Amino acid sequence: MKSLKRFLSRLGHFVTRRRDDERLREEIEEHIALQTAENLRAGLSPVEARRQAMLKFGGVETMKQDYRAQRGLPLIENPLGDFRNAARTISRMPALAAVIIVSLAIGIGVNTTIFSWIQMILFQPMPAVNSAANFLLVEPRSETSGYPGASWLEYRDLQAQIPSLRDLVASQMVPFNVGAPGQTERTHGQLVSGNYFSALGLKPALGRFIRPEEAERPGTEPVIVISYDYWQTRFRGAPDAVGQKLRVNDRDLIVIGVAPREFQGTLVPLKFELWVPATMTPALLGGARDLEDRSSRGFSLIGMLGPSATRQEAQAELTIAMAQLARDYPDASAGIGGEILSFWEAPRGPQRSLISGLAILQGVMLLLLLAVCGNTANLMLARGSTRQREMAVRVALGAGRWRIVSLVLSENMLLALLGAGLGAAFAVWGTTALRIAPMIGAFPILFPTKVDAFTLAFAMLLGAACGLIFSTPPALHLVRLDPQDALRSGPNTPPRSRARKVLMGIEVGLASVVLIAAALFLQSFRSASQADPRFRPEGVLLAAYDLSGRNPTEGSDREFAARLLERLRSLPDVEAAAIATNVPVDLHGIPRRPFTVQGHVRTEPGQDRAISNTVTPGYFKVMAIPLLEGNDFAEMRDKAAPPQAIVNEEFVRRYLNGADPIGRRLQTRTQSFAIIGVARNSAYDALGEPAQPAIYFSYRDRPQDQGEIHLRTRTGNEAALTSEARAVLRDLDPMLPLYDVRTFSQHIERNLYLRRIPARMFAVLGPLLLGLAAVGIYAVVSYAVARRTREIGVRLAFGATSSRVVLQIIRENLGAITWGTAIGWLLALVISLHAFPNGPLSLSVFLGVPAILLAVATLACWLPARRASRIDPMAALRHE
Amino acid sequence: MRQKTDVLQGTLALMVLKTLDVLGPLHGYGIARRIEQISGDLLAVNQGTLYPVLLKLEQEGAIASEWGTSENNRRARFYRLTRAGSRQLQAETKDWEQTAAIIGRFFEAKAKDLS
Repeated sequence: MKSLKRFLSRLGHFVTRRRDDERLREEIEEHIALQTAENLRAGLSPVEARRQAMLKFGGVETMKQDYRAQRGLPLIENPLGDFRNAARTISRMPALAAVIIVSLAIGIGVNTTIFSWIQMILFQPMPAVNSAANFLLVEPRSETSGYPGASWLEYRDLQAQIPSLRDLVASQMVPFNVGAPGQTERTHGQLVSGNYFSALGLKPALGRFIRPEEAERPGTEPVIVISYDYWQTRFRGAPDAVGQKLRVNDRDLIVIGVAPREFQGTLVPLKFELWVPATMTPALLGGARDLEDRSSRGFSLIGMLGPSATRQEAQAELTIAMAQLARDYPDASAGIGGEILSFWEAPRGPQRSLISGLAILQGVMLLLLLAVCGNTANLMLARGSTRQREMAVRVALGAGRWRIVSLVLSENMLLALLGAGLGAAFAVWGTTALRIAPMIGAFPILFPTKVDAFTLAFAMLLGAACGLIFSTPPALHLVRLDPQDALRSGPNTPPRSRARKVLMGIEVGLASVVLIAAALFLQSFRSASQADPRFRPEGVLLAAYDLSGRNPTEGSDREFAARLLERLRSLPDVEAAAIATNVPVDLHGIPRRPFTVQGHVRTEPGQDRAISNTVTPGYFKVMAIPLLEGNDFAEMRDKAAPPQAIVNEEFVRRYLNGADPIGRRLQTRTQSFAIIGVARNSAYDALGEPAQPAIYFSYRDRPQDQGEIHLRTRTGNEAALTSEARAVLRDLDPMLPLYDVRTFSQHIERNLYLRRIPARMFAVLGPLLLGLAAVGIYAVVSYAVARRTREIGVRLAFGATSSRVVLQIIRENLGAITWGTAIGWLLALVISLHAFPNGPLSLSVFLGVPAILLAVATLACWLPARRASRIDPMAALRHE
Repeated sequence: MRQKTDVLQGTLALMVLKTLDVLGPLHGYGIARRIEQISGDLLAVNQGTLYPVLLKLEQEGAIASEWGTSENNRRARFYRLTRAGSRQLQAETKDWEQTAAIIGRFFEAKAKDLS
């Protein structure tokens, strides 16, 4: 309490400094006047009386010092002075300061950008939802096949059985065809439970939201909520948008409200535009049985913990509820438990793929920042040695060690914070650029990241940490300084350069770790994108159609596909055409289906699962996947042939031990198939993946209302087929849009997008780091050389050739650099062996990167060395 | 070195409080005189050291100050004891007496008393 009072009073004095000085002066004068009067009364002469009074009072200046120290806030006042001083010092070295600030800004900017993404996932997984971080995922988990999602009925059951979670919310992403016949547009939306908006605590920007009773009985309420962006672009923000009709999957829905501006759904970074009650599913998706079928697990569940509930309680309730469901509905729920997870633990979907990548990226970028710090420390050290004399004078005048340290610290902190400020600006620019340019892919992706106070604090913290790190070496150096020594010797004595060389080594070592990591990453990205997919994507055009809006039956689906294929095949430029339900190398993967096959008995519990794709005859021709045995599927209109399946090599190897598969029976949950052929292995989930077992089913046996058209061109220009394909589809059905038209190469390209962001970052930052390392080495060597001008002059005068001098300088510095590179190289080797224990070691990276690094380092040494060796010996000796 | 000053400051503070307690409001010079009269040469050389102590006490709220007029009709700063100050004085007086008593006993103790 007392100390608080004193602090406040001191703070007050800190503000009213000048007036207080005045008061003290008056008090002293008064004191001395009184004492003088006393002395006069005692009989002293006026002059002597005043002199005695002054003597008795003691040292006025010392006392004033004490008084001020007592009064003000030296802890603040001194640093303030230091910062003023630092600003002056920095403004006197603009070039060096610019290099330091910009390099720090790049390091901090990149780290802040990545952090803002991580932060988004951790704390703001749903933009515009205030308490988003309190929501938990409720994920059913199958013993055998990961996280399959929840069914609608399961959701209704769980809603009642997990009291710890307030407002369990269900949503399912669906693509809709929106618009009038002939001009429909594919738009992504979510089918949601009735409590979706109220549980998220959202307020409509216009109109109202879906009411709970509107998602009770199937098909009763044809209402829709649109996103703010959709309202702005499609309705031009008109206030009368509410109440208007929107034609979705050939049904009229009434717009009842507009979601808040930044809300983009519950599956960030995916961006949704439409929200429809889940009970509209059968009406909109052509009689889909999602609402009754417990094995149709399309919904994602989230819920917020109730006021006094814990995550453990919720988990316990979920476990009990899932066990009960497994007993009640063994067909659909056997072997399926449940987990309560945080958003950042998301086990599937776009969030999962994002998180794992970001963590690695942040680690590498922090290393990069550390290398930048090493570089800066070196530059400051080099500069600091030219200031030895200044510091010595300060010490001689009575500055304490801590004052010197705080002087150095404040200079470096100022630099670091300037760098952090600029870095934050970079981060603002980076996140804005990412927000403005949404990624167009199979799904609309938008990173709703912003640089907020928290991110800014992170940037500043990074800056302060950097400042501390690169202040330490110069501060230590100056503290150990003996003022007498420093004052006696001129600025030209060779400095003790061990610390600088060690730092140079560390920096080069860090640089080599980051560069090798970057090169490995780029290489794996390149090899992944260049890996042989074992099918031929060149010359193939992809386009999707969706009949789900028009209550199709199996027969109509099959007939539509058959007619579509006939028309497409009759086009002159089409060499082959096929339809499939899935396209390989998709970000979202290809579904795996449980099966049993004649001749294979599973010993472990659970079910065998294989990648499954349903394709029309001609698929293998379009994809250029050779059939190694057997034949292609029967024609679409063939009614005689039994249900057929084609498996791949890996399937035969893994489940049939290489025995002849032709003619064996393959059983899925609903149907039995005869294996009629074996296809060569190809890539399914990602390029360059290990072989996976796969089953192809025939479109004839399992007609679907959605399909991806695959067209192989005769001319080599697959994109030219687009308009013809559109015309064919319009002829068949004017209401049906052909969407997501892309060449197969574009499809692959797009799905590599998420991996390409870090690849690009590395491609830019790698050379940058190399450049920074070069600048660092250059600066250190040129400072060192400049201080040895006299020595070099003497050598030259005694007949050393300039090339000898150059060689010697390079040799002296290259030692530390080589050590650093070697240690960094070893570190990178260990990391890479640890991370990819079985992967082949990339010789080109592990030899190439050090070679380039050493070459650049040598160049950075050579430039200042050569300049030094060109001086006129006479001038050098006269110097100083 | 510093510790000695601290001890001096502490003692001085106590003396200031006692002086103000006994004599009522006084200006800096008056306090210095009074302490000088009683303590001899403690303040004989460095009367100035009193002022930082006064400031510290004022910051702590033990004393308050205001402008007034001195004997020779000049503006002077008068210090007086606050209620918190007199409480502090009582407490510290007690402390001091206890400490003094203990130290005193220690100094009087002979070797045989301690063995």
